[in-house]
Amino acid sequence: MQSLIIAQISQMTKKPASTLKNDTLLLETGILDSLSLLKLVLFSEKQFGVSVPAEELVPDNFKTIDAMCVYLRSKQGK
Amino acid sequence: MGGTLGVLRNDLRCSNARVMIGRLESVIYRLIIVPLVAFLPAPFPYGFAVLVGDLRYKLYKPFRKEIEYALEQVFGSQLSFEERSRIARDWFRLRSCEAIDMMRLVGNGRALTRLVKTRGLEHVEAALAAGRGAILCSAHFGSYRCCFSVLGALGFPAALITNWSYDDDRLSPVDRLFSRLIRSLPVTHHLRRPNIVRREGKIGVAIEASIVLRENELIATMLDHSDYGDPVAPKDRTRPVPMKFLNREALMLPWIITIAQLMDAPMLMTFMRRSADWRHQVLEISPPISLEGDAETAFQRCLATVEAAIRRNPAHWEKWNVNALVQLGMLSAEDRFQRSGESN
Repeated sequence: MQSLIIAQISQMTKKPASTLKNDTLLLETGILDSLSLLKLVLFSEKQFGVSVPAEELVPDNFKTIDAMCVYLRSKQGK
Repeated sequence: MGGTLGVLRNDLRCSNARVMIGRLESVIYRLIIVPLVAFLPAPFPYGFAVLVGDLRYKLYKPFRKEIEYALEQVFGSQLSFEERSRIARDWFRLRSCEAIDMMRLVGNGRALTRLVKTRGLEHVEAALAAGRGAILCSAHFGSYRCCFSVLGALGFPAALITNWSYDDDRLSPVDRLFSRLIRSLPVTHHLRRPNIVRREGKIGVAIEASIVLRENELIATMLDHSDYGDPVAPKDRTRPVPMKFLNREALMLPWIITIAQLMDAPMLMTFMRRSADWRHQVLEISPPISLEGDAETAFQRCLATVEAAIRRNPAHWEKWNVNALVQLGMLSAEDRFQRSGESN
């Protein structure tokens, strides 16, 4: 999951995957803006077969790649 | 910049004394006169608003000259001096009438909605029936602050993407009070959700807009800007792109198209224009605009409908001032200084 998300972020932002760490703050550092985050959410829903409800579209669930994976895995488990 | 005092500071680029007179006049008009006359039979408040518009046209000479200058810069010889003067006069009339519109939105809004003829509501209904919400795009055109509240008063769930918020804590307490009294209470009362505004610590405009669309509701926004409603933080990569607009190149952000494309939401162009009698208005909603091609191509298509609306009713466009045109990249910064020098 992590590698797929990193690849997707790298493709969207044109940043080399090697510069994206699991604990990089994606929103605060401006790596992801709101539009690219939306793209990433839609990608994750399709790729991992999860549905992200409106109330869970909050910065905490998407602030880092680690946080994203924890959140998406919790959704997969349900 | 938000709030009535902020708007006045921007609008009346005159001496401090004139600004003070302008503020006082605006406060008296909006807080005392408008509430007193707005609910009288429509010919009276709108007739009165036209008179106030004419008075402002005469009083605020520097600003009138600035409107005429902006029109000349954009349209060149396509408009005669008399036409530019008439448009400037109508611009003041329209702004005065908008204050009446806002007041008539108080309560159930019927005092205003019964004066508005709607065309194309079937496109909104069809979009909502399809279950993906819809994006209503407009411009700073006519009574644009009330346009989407009219739809809200008619029972459609609309939320607005803007650069201002009525509860913006960056406003001074006085500006916030005016903002609440004059705009917030009547206008947002009919909107389903608070305005979607870019702010620190929030997940972002695009995400918030997607939530609204997923709830099968309406998102409304203005296309003719280069800086706000922008889902992209200032430090981010995406920047305004040059688009053909009103004989010039304007810097704009086509992000709303990307949202529409990502969410597969229809995009409907929406304009409210005032009739010749000043009290009746027509709210027109277009069929879905084609989103074929890249975001910029589709955005240019939408912008062409904005331009067509402005060309048909130039006075309806609020942005006939040098600062706004400089911000859009349609005039150079030197124009601002030149005009400021001439005004003083």
